Amino acid sequence: MSQLIWNGLFVGSFYALVALGYTMVYGIIKLLNFAHGDLYMLGAFTGFAMLGAMGGLVHSSSLLALLAVLVLTMITTGTAGLAIERVAYRPLRGTPRLSLLITAVGASFALEYGTRIVAGPNPRVYPVRLDGVSVTVLGARVTMQQLVLMGISLALMAGLALLIGRTRQGRAMRAIALDPKASLLMGVNVDAVIARTFFIGSAMAGAAGVMAGGYYGKIDFLMGFIIGLKAFTAAVIGGIGNVPGTMLGALVLGMLESFGTHWVGGEWRDVFAFGFLILFLTVRPTGLLGERVTERV
Amino acid sequence: MTAVRDRVARRPGTSAVSRLLESRHLGWAGLAMGLAAPFAIATPYAMNIMTSAVIFVMLAVGLNIVVGYCGLLDLGFAAFFAVGAYTSGLVATRLGWPLLATIPFVVVATVTAGIVIGGPTLRLRSDYLAIVTLGFGEIVRIIANNLDVTGGPSGIYGIPGLFGDHAGDPVVFYYAVLLIVAAAVLLAGRLGRSRLGRAWRFVREDEDAAEAMGVHTYRVKLAAYIAGAVWGGLAGVLFAAQLSAISPASFTFLQSALVLMAVVLGGMGSTPGVVIGAVVISLLPEILRDLADYRFFVFGVLLIAMMISRPQGLWPHRSRETARTAARSEEA
Amino acid sequence: MKKLALGVVLGAASLTVSACGQGLLGSDDAADSGPIVIGMVVPLSGASADIGPYMKNGAQMAVDEINARGGVHGRTLRLRAEDGACDPKTAVAAASKLVAAKIAVSVGGYCSGATLPTLPVFDRAKIPMIIPAANSTELVEQRLKHVFLLNGTGDQQALAAMSWMSKSGAKKVAVLHDNTSYSKDIATRTAAALDEPGGPEKTGLDAVNPGESDYSANIANVLKANPDFIYWTGYYQEGGLLVRQFRQAGYEGDFMVGDGSVDAKLVKIAGERAAEGVYATMTQTPGTIEGAGGWIAAYKRKFGSDPGPYSTQSYDAVRVAAEAVTKAGGTDGDKVAKQLEAIDGFPIFSGPLRFTPRHTLSNGGFVILVVKDGAFELHDALK
Repeated sequence: MSQLIWNGLFVGSFYALVALGYTMVYGIIKLLNFAHGDLYMLGAFTGFAMLGAMGGLVHSSSLLALLAVLVLTMITTGTAGLAIERVAYRPLRGTPRLSLLITAVGASFALEYGTRIVAGPNPRVYPVRLDGVSVTVLGARVTMQQLVLMGISLALMAGLALLIGRTRQGRAMRAIALDPKASLLMGVNVDAVIARTFFIGSAMAGAAGVMAGGYYGKIDFLMGFIIGLKAFTAAVIGGIGNVPGTMLGALVLGMLESFGTHWVGGEWRDVFAFGFLILFLTVRPTGLLGERVTERV
Repeated sequence: MTAVRDRVARRPGTSAVSRLLESRHLGWAGLAMGLAAPFAIATPYAMNIMTSAVIFVMLAVGLNIVVGYCGLLDLGFAAFFAVGAYTSGLVATRLGWPLLATIPFVVVATVTAGIVIGGPTLRLRSDYLAIVTLGFGEIVRIIANNLDVTGGPSGIYGIPGLFGDHAGDPVVFYYAVLLIVAAAVLLAGRLGRSRLGRAWRFVREDEDAAEAMGVHTYRVKLAAYIAGAVWGGLAGVLFAAQLSAISPASFTFLQSALVLMAVVLGGMGSTPGVVIGAVVISLLPEILRDLADYRFFVFGVLLIAMMISRPQGLWPHRSRETARTAARSEEA
Repeated sequence: MKKLALGVVLGAASLTVSACGQGLLGSDDAADSGPIVIGMVVPLSGASADIGPYMKNGAQMAVDEINARGGVHGRTLRLRAEDGACDPKTAVAAASKLVAAKIAVSVGGYCSGATLPTLPVFDRAKIPMIIPAANSTELVEQRLKHVFLLNGTGDQQALAAMSWMSKSGAKKVAVLHDNTSYSKDIATRTAAALDEPGGPEKTGLDAVNPGESDYSANIANVLKANPDFIYWTGYYQEGGLLVRQFRQAGYEGDFMVGDGSVDAKLVKIAGERAAEGVYATMTQTPGTIEGAGGWIAAYKRKFGSDPGPYSTQSYDAVRVAAEAVTKAGGTDGDKVAKQLEAIDGFPIFSGPLRFTPRHTLSNGGFVILVVKDGAFELHDALK
């Protein structure tokens, strides 16, 4: 029982890191960024390439090296997110939503199969592994590296919450989410704020990618697809556009999957997760913590 | 932008080429070409990829009703394809019927699937709809993979041909498929020009205005969804007849994305455009087999490029109302 | 842009016309002289693209050896490999391409799901199929006259797994598969065998979703019944993760994997420490057969890399095909199939070859491997 809860929380914290990027971008320009899950994948591969380049340096202090790689990767994927926004999304702002969605699907494909061309179709194995001792807490088996990764995720999420709630940048983001045209009139540099939002969201996804690589060890070019879907589900459950709601939703989804597997068997896990997505969208489209939004004409 | 200049420079009817393309006989010319093709080449391989292409046309025309006419992004269209293929495969192998006789079952099953999937979700905003359909596509595939009645991961095999004989002669099969699909394409085009079709376009252009003008948008969208589902399901019957064995591997998200690609490439809402888009998308990888691994990368880049530079597709739908709206959206 | 669309159409049209002479009105001239073409549908693109070259090279090696000895009935052999991409539709197109190229025998087939729909294509053209890798039971269930399996089948592998479980004293066995047809086949057959009274007891039959990274939920599910032996029948990608995550979750019993997981990458993904002592059910490979070092060296010389999964089976498939064509005195499909049924004791890697009435191997040739010092090696020949 407590093992199931802990497993759920741990998986949920990965979902949360990816889901936050989804939710921020959606909150601010109402765009479903399909390519977001692939930035997670891109993060994993960037980290892999960097660790490969660092070579022997890494083995002496793997945790420190991973942290350095983590920061560098966040910058790289953040920049990649910026580039995607600039090339694929910005020219289409203001066009029908259908075009934007199709572009997002295109961006996702380009990232996945572009990575495949560069890195090949076979899975890669991370050169560095986080190995650690495990302790038993309340009947659940918890390993040290899980605790470290959870800690990093929580720190990143807390930083993000502060950024949005307490800073000038955060206020600008919230203003654009409410009304982009009025924000522009009030002197907010809308383009720059949207670009920064993409940067931050993509950096979070990239961080999750490196952490997944270091923890699980195996990465491949399609690893972002399912987690992207799951992250979206998490965002919807919590309330898309709502940052604390999304974190909550991710943890809830992690638990749902953990218990769902327990109840209905592994082969039905995804049906269970997507079933919840559809249920939430039809019964409570605003999610657990989202406020009611009316469609603007 | 170049696209705008293109449009201005080549008004309808300025060249022989475009006059040909505008011609009402174009569809018949295409059908004639399809009918004549086996006289040029009738190796099993050629018949096979031509049959596949024609079936793919059927799928694309079905998705075009949903995405092109009504403006609803469906990322799980393979679900209906799967429902059709599995229903006919199951009925045919269990009862020993020829596949053509299973069509009533398929229509019932796909209409039900359309209502089950579309019913709760069509009230949602368009972008939610996209991801929900994606989720449904995955759910249908996973269910087919897990149930014993659908044969699990290895699926159903030993499916009889359209007329009952096992697989039959490829040329006869090709002609049968070609005629069925031609009728389906014609019907879809008619549907697009009907009263319902106008309502679909209205909903696509401005849902709120349509609602205000008294169009029952939910019912109209559901109709588009069901029509698309039936077309997709019938394509599934043909697919089952062609392969004689179906498995969940044929109904992945990639399949849905390919159909969407065909619709977007050809021109959303334009029947000739979508037909040609489908033929190109399904034949190209056979011609460029060595580049198979680059295919999806190129598709992704193409999708972005198309949406930015030519959102109306290579072969846009033309009618007075949409020409104006298209021009307006390009100015924006 | 419109010109472009038209160009594509015209291009396709001209391509069609240029292939004149193969149409409905063209003549059909069968080639009874010239090289005997041997076809194979293997994955050269898509998710399993890395397997195709191994199979192709193995087959090519046999073709070259036979040609060096003067071919079959004075005719040389030629190999033609087409890409099936592990996708049913692509595989059927590739199979029709081979039929159009008038191949005498097909020696391909890796993914069971993609191979299944190619059977009627070859069968209609009366082309015998010697399938080197795909081994799902459905392939032979239709009792097609021209279909032969050269790889041990799921029930043979399940049998091998069972006998090792009993031999190693397992008491409570959990079986895991990845919901692909190959893996589920072995798993359900093993589970059925475990359900028989006597021998080890089954604690669960469970599936994981391939392509994910975190299996902790599945693992918690399996471990709640306290098994002392786990059998994974899927591929190495997930296998490596499972081995690692089971060990991390504190599982200390035995772990065994099926032949799809026998790959050096399994050890890399799991980590050497976690993978040590993992058992595997596997058919004989040059690496585990004494005296096959020469074969490996020859392969390396020729293709510059080590042989991989199913290189040996593909090599054998071509040799078996050549043997049957020689005995049949020609490439007539029915006669070749008869000769294949009649083969008795032809030496192949898995032992002397004889087909059962179902056209599967009479002896699957499965052995038990174990990971020792980071590599798979022979542990028990199950004799």
